[in-house]
Order: sequence, then structure tokens, then C-alpha cells
Amino acid sequence: MSARDDIRANNGPGEREEPPAEASTAAQKRPAQIAYGGFLDLVGRNVAPTIFLALVVLASLFVKNFADVDNAAVILKQSAIPAIAVIGMTMVLMTGGIDLSLGYVVGLASIASGILANTWAWPAPAVLAAVLALGLGLGLCNGLITQFMRVPAFIATLGTGYVFYGIAQIVSQGSNINRLPKDFLAIGRTPMFGLPSAVFLALGVAVVFHVLISRTIFGRQLEAFGLGARAAALSGVPNARINVTVYALCAALAALSGLLFTIRVNAAQPNMGGGAFTFEVVTGAIVGGASLFGGVGSVVNSILGVLSIKIIENCINLMGVNYNLYLAVQGMIILVAIIFGNLSNRRA
Amino acid sequence: MNLHPAARRGLFLFIPVAAFLALGSQVPHFLDPSNLLNVVRQSSITGICAVGMTFVIVIKGIDLSLAGLLAFCPMISGILMLAGIDLPASMAVGMLAGIILGLFNGLMVSKLAVPAFITTLVVGQISQGLALTMNGGSSIGGFPERFVFIGNGALGSVPLSDLLLAAFLALGFFIQRFTALGNHIYALGGNEAVLRQEGLSAARLQFFVFGFSGFCAAVSGLLLSAQLDTVHPTQGDAYQLDAIAACIIGGVDLAGGRGSVPMAVVGALVIGCLRNVLNLLGIHPFMQNVFIGSIIIVIVYLSGTIHRHSELATRGTL
Repeated sequence: MSARDDIRANNGPGEREEPPAEASTAAQKRPAQIAYGGFLDLVGRNVAPTIFLALVVLASLFVKNFADVDNAAVILKQSAIPAIAVIGMTMVLMTGGIDLSLGYVVGLASIASGILANTWAWPAPAVLAAVLALGLGLGLCNGLITQFMRVPAFIATLGTGYVFYGIAQIVSQGSNINRLPKDFLAIGRTPMFGLPSAVFLALGVAVVFHVLISRTIFGRQLEAFGLGARAAALSGVPNARINVTVYALCAALAALSGLLFTIRVNAAQPNMGGGAFTFEVVTGAIVGGASLFGGVGSVVNSILGVLSIKIIENCINLMGVNYNLYLAVQGMIILVAIIFGNLSNRRA
Repeated sequence: MNLHPAARRGLFLFIPVAAFLALGSQVPHFLDPSNLLNVVRQSSITGICAVGMTFVIVIKGIDLSLAGLLAFCPMISGILMLAGIDLPASMAVGMLAGIILGLFNGLMVSKLAVPAFITTLVVGQISQGLALTMNGGSSIGGFPERFVFIGNGALGSVPLSDLLLAAFLALGFFIQRFTALGNHIYALGGNEAVLRQEGLSAARLQFFVFGFSGFCAAVSGLLLSAQLDTVHPTQGDAYQLDAIAACIIGGVDLAGGRGSVPMAVVGALVIGCLRNVLNLLGIHPFMQNVFIGSIIIVIVYLSGTIHRHSELATRGTL
């Protein structure tokens, strides 16, 4: 520990400027190393946008009523909530971990917002702040357990997930809270340009976190930590702080999506979210090209990943296929994404 | 923490037994023979899953597909049974489905180097989705009497479920202790480099381990359905956490290379006792999950700390 601290002390802020420069030269070299043609190369480097565009084209051609402004609005509305959650999951995946408790944070946040807004009659901004704080607190637990108790992320978050789920059920005594106050509903339901405000909220969160991950020192350090914790520590990255922060942010975003979910269905439910939602979000991030081994991930691509799976869900609905198939189809999509990701890694 | 391995094993055995007696003396009706037999019968599902899970955790993996397989495999068998296919054949098809999905997990882990937790999570989700799709999301029941007998019948005074658990315990113990295969599996989890230097294929072992876990999941799913006389598409959800907790309580190490089948089954019985006691005390199942989730994290933390400590001690850098 002391050696690390020394290195950190020696590292002036000026030296932190170096990694971006190196990274950009590496990026310039890469196209020369991969030999296959221009188009394939373009596709290979933009898998998530390609999948998204291909799905849009295919669905518009073959699915009735898909290419329609109203339907597009439906897809956007349905994607807004998982899009917020996927940002957090992307950051966690970038550390090389995973957050399996995400869906249960959604349920706990939902029931908490219901109790605060309805039973305790708090004003909407206070509810929003309290729920975000709750998420931060839950995520802090995840982060501290993975970082300082050195429990592997998947087992730690599996455990805390069951704990959160249990708490949500106990607090709510298993029942829903319906008919929430109008000022609270206004957070996500105010119409703007023909879409509910939740969509714009998601857009705002996405912009903030895109900048955070791709344009700040924090983002660089997160990437470095995910690619190699030891090397990052030796070059002065505060690994522990980054790791804990990321889990806290992830759960806070999950709590926000739980709150918006509650607003959308106008009912606080303890079993909202759950394992299925976690899975949807992980699928979105993986389809968006986030690596399970850490270090690679982008907010824009992950959101495109979520949009892609929501388009598939939408098509399943429009075609009148059994909705339960959605779970299985999602699983197959994530498998294909993982297999392709691994094969292309191996070739590179 | 420089304990002799046998002493450490003894310590692991001592804690559950002590907890068992302490609980038993406090809770009314817990030590009634009928209640104890009931506990073993309820633990048989978790226990059989834990046998397969032990092998998976020994090779540093984890099997999160249990929740799905526990519903999917009996769903296949159940539908076949109700369609009038003969009982052993339909059960064999369910088990085969479990083995195939397990082997698929093995394929992903060995050939494509996908982390075990993600491929098993995905396979679990797919099989859960298929279980939901196959019968439109509702449960099926009304199986032939012979099938229900497997879950609820008894040989003398010992329930068949308990005998099945004992059979799997014996099978797992035999593979682990008395075959070269078991030895290689420990080697794969403990030190893969040695295994490769010996010229042994890691992939074949991974196929076996995940296939075996799938088989265990299929059998316990069938047993669960036989006990309940229904197949519900989400019936497996409760057992996955318990199976992992059973292994971890039984001292199977998430870092790989350590753990034995009998101890994992003891772990399953501990979980069974715990849930039974909490039920007798009138504590809500969700509160029980809060307990079990916390126990897992604490034990993984403690065993990790003990290992790092003893590793430092053996290297002399403490």
C-alpha cells in the first residue's frame, strides 16, 4: 500500500495528460493492423450502431405498423427507463464487475418513492432527492463489499440483490401503492414535443454521463482501472475510489429508473424490475459492445443496444407472438453478441 | 490460521452441528423426528443442485442457470407425460435437456472463454423464457401417480427424496475422491498450469462439470415437480440462491480448487434447517432471503480473508 501511495504522491497532475496522447496514437495505428476491407472495418468498429440500423431497416421492411411515428414514440418511451439504468451497468461492466442487484434496486426505489410521495406526502423534488440518495447508499454497499471485502462482484451483488428484494417486500408488506400524487407524476409525465419528460430526462442523463466517461479524467481512470487494475494503480489511479463510486452511481441511476418506472405505471410495486430487468439491462450493455472483462464500454453504444432490444420486443408485440418468448429471444441475442465479441477479439 | 487441513474440515463441520443443536434446543418441535425428516426432504432439492454446483465452483465457475433449468427440464417432461408418453422416457428427455444445456455452458466456457457466470445466467434466462413460453406462462399438473410417488413416496419410513439425495451425494463423493476425473477437476480449479503441463485437456473437464451440473439441476427439478405434482415456470427461482449458499456454507471456495460434495450437502441441510427454524418462528420467507444473502457475503469475505492470510503466512511475508 505504501508503495502505491508513494507513486500517487509523485504523480503530478501534469503527468496525467499523457495517457490520452498514447491512446490516440494507438487508435491511429489500429486501422492499419486490421487488414480486412474498408466497409467491414467500419462495421467491425461500430457494431452497436450497425445492429441498430440493421434492425430498424429489417423491422420497417417486414413488420407491419413498425415504421410509424406513433410506434417510434412508443419505443422511445419504453427505452427511456432501461436506457438510464444501462448507463450505470456500462460503467460497472467497464470496471470488470457486474451488478446483478440492479433490478432489485429498482423495486426498492419504486416502493420507497411510493411511500414518500403518497403515504408521507413529500413534495416531488424531495422524493426525487431522497430516492437518488437511497440508490447511492445501496450502491455504496455494493461498492464497499466488492472493493474492501474483496467479494467477487457477481456474488456480492447477487447477495445484496436478495437483501434489497427482501427489504422491498417487507417494507411494502407485499402490496402496491396506487394513485400517486400529481406533482410526483409530473416528473416523468409532463408532455414535451409529444413525448413524456422521462425521455428527455434520460437524454439529459445520457449526455452528462457520456461526457463524464469519454471526456473527463474520471472516465479515463475508469477505463484504465478496467483494463488493468495493477497498472492503473501504479500510474496513480485511485482504484478503490473509482470502483466504489461506479457502483454507487450505478445504483443511483437504477433508483432513478425505478422512480420513472413507478411514474409510468402510476403504482409503486416491490417486485418491479427484478431479475428480468437486470437481464434486459445487461443484454443492452453487451449488445452495445461493453466487455465483460472490463475497460471497454460507451454510453452511446449501450443506449443503442437498449434501443435494439426494445425494437425486438416491439416487433414481438406487433407480430402477436407469445410475449414470454421475449425472455428467451433476449438470451439468444446476448449469446450471439458475446460469441461475436469474443471471436472478433480473438482475430484482432 | 495455520490449521491442519483435517482440523479445518472439522471446524467447518463443527459450526453447522453446533448451530443445529443450539437452534434445536430453542425452537419448539424442531427436533421432532417427523420435522427432521421433513427438513431432509425439503433439503433434497437444494442438496442435489449443490452436488453439481460444488464441481462447478471447484473449477472457479458458478452455475446461475439452475433457476431456469429447474423449471425448464420438468416442464418438458411434464408436457410429454401429459401427452401420454411413457414415464421413464419423458423423464429421460427432461434430463437430456438439462445435460445438453449444461454442455452448452461448458462449450461457452471452454471454447469461447466466456465467464461462467454470464453464460449460465444467459442459459438460465433462455430456459426460463422457454419454460414460460411452452405453456403460456401457467403451470401444469395432474401427473401420473408413479411420478408423484417419486416425490412423496417412502421406502419403509425413509422418503424417496432423501434416498435420491443420498445417491447423488454418493455419486458426487465417489467421482471426487476415487476417480482420476475428480482429481483432475481439483487440479483444474487449483492450478490449471499443472494440468496443462500434464497434457490434460481442460475443455473436456469443463464439459463434464457443467454437463453434470445441468444433469443435477434436471433431476432436482423433476424431483421438485414430483413433490409438488405441478410444474410452475418460475419454481426454480428460490433454489438457486440456496444451492450457492449451501456450497459456500459447506466450505466450497469460490476461488476454486477446494470443496467437497459431502460438505456441500451438509451446507444444504444447514440451509434447510435454517429455513425450517425461521418458518417455525414465523419469520417471513423474504426476511429469510435477507438472512441468506447476507450470510453468503459474510462467508465469502471470511474465507477469502483466511486464504490470503494463510497464503501470506506460507510465503513468509506476513
